[in-house]
Amino acid sequence: MLATVLLTSILTADTVADRAQNLDEVVIVSAAGRGKKRSAKGQVASIDEHLQQLSGVNLIRRGSYAWEPTVNNMQTERLSTTIDGMKIFYACTDKMDPVTSYVESGNLQSISLSSGLDGNPQATGNIGGSLDLRLRKAGFDNGQLTIENGQSPLHLNATAGHEWNGHVQVYGADAAHSSHRLYVNGGVFYRHADNYTVGGGRELPFSQFRKVNVFGNVGARLAEHDIVEATVIFDRATDVGYPALNMDVARAEGFITSASYKHLFDEASLLQTWETKLYYNHIVHEMDDTHRPDVEIHMDMPGRSQTAGLYSLLTAAGSRHSCQLNYDLYYNRLLADMTMYPGGAAPMYMVTWPDVGTLCTGLALADDITLTDCQHLRLSAKLAWQAQRLNSDEGYHALRVFFPTMNDSYRQTTARLAANYRLAVGRWELGVGAGWGSRAPTVTEAYGYYLNNTFDRYDYMGNPSLSNESAVELNAALQFSASQSLRFKVQGNAFFFHNYIIGQFETRLSPMTVGAEGVKVYGNLPHATITNLSFTADWQPLKWFSWQAGAAYATGRDADGDPLPLIAPLAWHNTLNLRLQPFTLHLTIKGNARQRDYGAKYGESETAGWTVCNVSAEWAATDKLTVRAGVENIFDKHYSSYADWNGIPQKGRNIYLNFTFEW
Amino acid sequence: MMRKWTIYVMAALIGAAVTSCNSNDDAGVAEIEIPGVTIDGDIDCCSAEEALQVYRFLQTVHIVPELSTVVDGKYNVFAYSRTGTFHTGYNELYFVATKKLTGNYVKQFDVEGLSPLMEMAAMNMKHSAPAAASAVSLDDQHLAVKRAWVSFLMDGEWTFGYNARVLGATGGVEQAALSVGSQGDGQQWLKSFKTGGQTYYLSLVTPTDWQTGTNTIRAYVSQKGSVATEAYPLAAQQFTIDIDPRMPDMGNHTSPDNQPLTRQTDGSYEGTINLTMTGLWRIYLTVRDLAGNVVAGGDETLFWDVIL
Repeated sequence: MLATVLLTSILTADTVADRAQNLDEVVIVSAAGRGKKRSAKGQVASIDEHLQQLSGVNLIRRGSYAWEPTVNNMQTERLSTTIDGMKIFYACTDKMDPVTSYVESGNLQSISLSSGLDGNPQATGNIGGSLDLRLRKAGFDNGQLTIENGQSPLHLNATAGHEWNGHVQVYGADAAHSSHRLYVNGGVFYRHADNYTVGGGRELPFSQFRKVNVFGNVGARLAEHDIVEATVIFDRATDVGYPALNMDVARAEGFITSASYKHLFDEASLLQTWETKLYYNHIVHEMDDTHRPDVEIHMDMPGRSQTAGLYSLLTAAGSRHSCQLNYDLYYNRLLADMTMYPGGAAPMYMVTWPDVGTLCTGLALADDITLTDCQHLRLSAKLAWQAQRLNSDEGYHALRVFFPTMNDSYRQTTARLAANYRLAVGRWELGVGAGWGSRAPTVTEAYGYYLNNTFDRYDYMGNPSLSNESAVELNAALQFSASQSLRFKVQGNAFFFHNYIIGQFETRLSPMTVGAEGVKVYGNLPHATITNLSFTADWQPLKWFSWQAGAAYATGRDADGDPLPLIAPLAWHNTLNLRLQPFTLHLTIKGNARQRDYGAKYGESETAGWTVCNVSAEWAATDKLTVRAGVENIFDKHYSSYADWNGIPQKGRNIYLNFTFEW
Repeated sequence: MMRKWTIYVMAALIGAAVTSCNSNDDAGVAEIEIPGVTIDGDIDCCSAEEALQVYRFLQTVHIVPELSTVVDGKYNVFAYSRTGTFHTGYNELYFVATKKLTGNYVKQFDVEGLSPLMEMAAMNMKHSAPAAASAVSLDDQHLAVKRAWVSFLMDGEWTFGYNARVLGATGGVEQAALSVGSQGDGQQWLKSFKTGGQTYYLSLVTPTDWQTGTNTIRAYVSQKGSVATEAYPLAAQQFTIDIDPRMPDMGNHTSPDNQPLTRQTDGSYEGTINLTMTGLWRIYLTVRDLAGNVVAGGDETLFWDVIL
């Protein structure tokens, strides 16, 4: 059985085990196991819907496609996102294409999130956290792939889904073959959506999208302990509407490929695995405003991102230690430009990302130490060095107008260190952690050129003289099991930033975008703080009945004590689960309080509180067929959350139905 | 009769422009061919290296046959412009003189008395235009190329003449007919203002060389003389010209740190202009006298329009 399973791995034993596992031993599960989360829509859910399941993750929505994940209330620039350890960088200067939009549910086995500075080994610049999208490879000797009686190594899977609101259609099919020597799997995914209807019945124009995804994985065992693997993903989204922005996307295309060699050491050996992967990916992103009715000036804004790299990961495990040593190297090239066509007059051209080449290399080390049966310590560290070069002379000369002393190349050194200690005593489980880490400014922050931000209506200029941002993280988690069936958990973290990078008013500069309020230049704030606190309760009085409740609160403050933008207000949820085989039923009520601490200084306005109810059901009709259905936003509430860009309303009532067949 | 001569010189003497193309198997020796030029050691004329530089430059401009002439039967004076044609506003003219016998470029010659003239028959009026007093060497690498300029006030049929003196022989062009076109894309490189009873002309030097980023902006300030049919000479009075570049198509977007135009020792004005992107730039001008008083512009009526 193949399905997408989402793992949240924060300070849990799962993390440790997961990190030490050989890939061919990863069990691909379809049922939601303990501690593992999955979307109620199953495999048909979009990546964005899967991401929503992760704790500490919120999604900034600019439309119904390509939501931008935030972790611990930090956005892309403070996160690391990797695909099976591969670096990939988005190509849109307006963040319309977070890299999570270049994969599909069918490509993935899981998404793993590491909160804060304790990132996955390939992660760099992850202050808020790191996401690793783990590809769904069939693997060798995959018992799950055989049909009970016959020993057929072939496995087929098909999904189809429909959502009434916005006429969403999802079709997916894949096939896998697995043996001791070879595995091959691959598939296609198609997704289509028309404009959706907001609560109350109004259609939201420009909220449509279309996406096609094709993927393939192959693995061969050269010798008993030597494996080669390769992956290809091609993902193409077209006609993507962004109702929160003033333009759409004609084409967003990603091509992701990798080849790796893996050696498995003897069971008895201290060393466990050694994997070396070479990868290449590129993204082409083309914005499109030709369908908008009120375009003052038509613009072409293409962006390109190319990344090539490698990593080499060695894992070792002793009786008390489980270590990872990783070396990685990548070269990324980012180029974006803009041509504006004022009616009849001369076109206006500028380079918005000056073809920045970034060569980055890093060494990471992590060790999970079992101190005693009830005490664990995890240490992780990474040192990274990068060199950047501006390859576009035109972009470089344009930036020099604003920064006459700037150079066309820069070097940065960043590092992170984290220690987490876990103690289990009786019914109590305590975790505390601390870390320090830094990140280099992103290309937008350092070299972006008149990037209009529709959130605060300012044009943003990069600043090549920015200092690295750094943060100290403190975190703690306390879990109390009152009984076998009742558990409470409180966890929190705080990030104390030094040289926090954010756009700062620059009244001496004139905006470029027609209608812009002014210009902001990225600068370092001397300090800033982001704090997250969450509480969850889990009660399962009966085998077939469980109840989960949770609440999360966060606050962000800049150096003046004023609220930072895009920090979640108090959020809460309640879920009732009924499991009556072959039926499973979930009833969820969730909401946000009014956003009191909004970042007025940063152009954010207040968002009202809201509550919505969802119901979902799953029916395992036969061994081979699973049917899922549900209603989201049952009462057709008209609302938008703090993370809805420019307050675009969320979907109104939505009924969905989907089927998963497996042979 | 055209003779082709081949000269061999050490590539190192010629410069990187040649060697970079011939670095494979020439073992440091490059073959130079300058069509129509004989190098025979004539001290009045260019050496092989100098001639090559001149020849290369002339490949980048276009000859103006109506302004080319023969002086004293022994010398050719050729006139060039960037496109071979002329338009309203600032135009650059280049002159070379060659010996008819060898075709080689004469190092020292003078071109002066430039006289653009337009006859407005309907109004029975004649007027001239701002122009350089004389042609001067382009730069140290091109001593044998003389540069001059003229700023045509309007499009239409003009006449143009000049006096040339080549190695003691005199000649020139006597008011040849010259057709001046308009700047079809709406650019405006020439503006005028009046102060103290005088009319001044502001000629913006070819902004087509500008690129996105920081550029040197150059201009000439000319003064209409008492005789309207004589070329307007550079103004005797000294000014400072503040610039404020704007993009009318982008809500009057501007750029920071522009430096005013001030007079240089050669009589031209020079400043710094920052351009944040390509497109139409309207450069608003504020002209001040030496005491800092605004004598013209400053009210969005005086500007150059430039398309980058």
